[in-house]
Amino acid sequence: MDIKDLNELRSEFENLQKREMQSDCADGSCMTDEPSREDYPDYLAAIFTEIMPPVKSGIYFSRWDLKKMAGEVDESFALDVRERMFQKFMQWVGTPEDMQQVIEQFNNNMNAKCDQYREYSKKYPSTKEIFDKKIEKAESSKKYLDKVYTEFFT
Amino acid sequence: MQEELITEQVARINIYALISRLLMTEVDESLLKLITEDENIMSFFPNFKKWEKRTKMSPTDLIDKELNVDFTNLFLLHLIPYESFYTREDQKMETGGDNPLQAIYSAFDFEVELDVARVMSGDHIGVELEFMYKLVEAQSKALEAGDNETAADIAGIQYNFLKDHLLEWAPMFLLNVKLEAGTALYFDAAELALEFIMSDFEYLTQLQKSTFVKDVSEESK
Repeated sequence: MDIKDLNELRSEFENLQKREMQSDCADGSCMTDEPSREDYPDYLAAIFTEIMPPVKSGIYFSRWDLKKMAGEVDESFALDVRERMFQKFMQWVGTPEDMQQVIEQFNNNMNAKCDQYREYSKKYPSTKEIFDKKIEKAESSKKYLDKVYTEFFT
Repeated sequence: MQEELITEQVARINIYALISRLLMTEVDESLLKLITEDENIMSFFPNFKKWEKRTKMSPTDLIDKELNVDFTNLFLLHLIPYESFYTREDQKMETGGDNPLQAIYSAFDFEVELDVARVMSGDHIGVELEFMYKLVEAQSKALEAGDNETAADIAGIQYNFLKDHLLEWAPMFLLNVKLEAGTALYFDAAELALEFIMSDFEYLTQLQKSTFVKDVSEESK
């Protein structure tokens, strides 16, 4: 059995656990406001800490952004606390292919906003230094997402 | 030159006052009237001008059923109009006295009445824009009094405040307001605020290089 099989097995196991939890919690008695981080693999914390903060990625991923990005991969959830929406989006990831789609959505959002930054810095040259830093951060974030994929999904 | 400078400051004061007010609290009937009845102001809101609902709904209905609902979604519920969220790695807002903006405001005797403004902290976009408004107003008064040295100093403070604060984060927020606005008024308001702070930074950058600032620094030697 190679590492890819192991990863697939782990994804299947997580999905099974999730289904078990949902069926055990049909009456809502086990619901809490606290996120159960121990149920999440490490890539979730990695992305939330390294990509989601605007100061690190140069991009603001809003609640609506997350909802739209999820919609692009046919996932749907209600507007909620930003961190919880991010967690729900990540819970959707079951396979390496899913993760590739998620990364593509993050990249599309960053690319669209960087295009705007470029447009602004061209129109107002004094702002170039400010927007260039944000674009650099976004480019570095895209590379980091690739690293996360390689580390956790291959 | 002096008169031209004073005229430019009056225009800047008016725009900072308008965008600060629009992004701070909900629209009321007097603000709506001010926007819709002044052709110059209305020209800043091209989409709102031709927005069908604006012409078909009464001002009260427009405010209650459209504009205030959109304001609540954009500024209170779903987007984050506070600088600290964009500058802290933990993505939290700094609502206490440790907010770095507080020290800047205190240095210039700018008092933020959070309860009156109905904001959680002084790094709200509306408050930061109001601070710029006060700075431009002070610069204008200095120019009118012929105190060009003080006016040049205040212009330098504005330049730094835009560079280190507003431009560092407000474009990220305002881009999302544009993307997510449900009414033409807030789409245009976000566009106006975005374009204005960037063009004002361009103006201040040129002012730093202009003969106005150079002459003042020569005189003070």
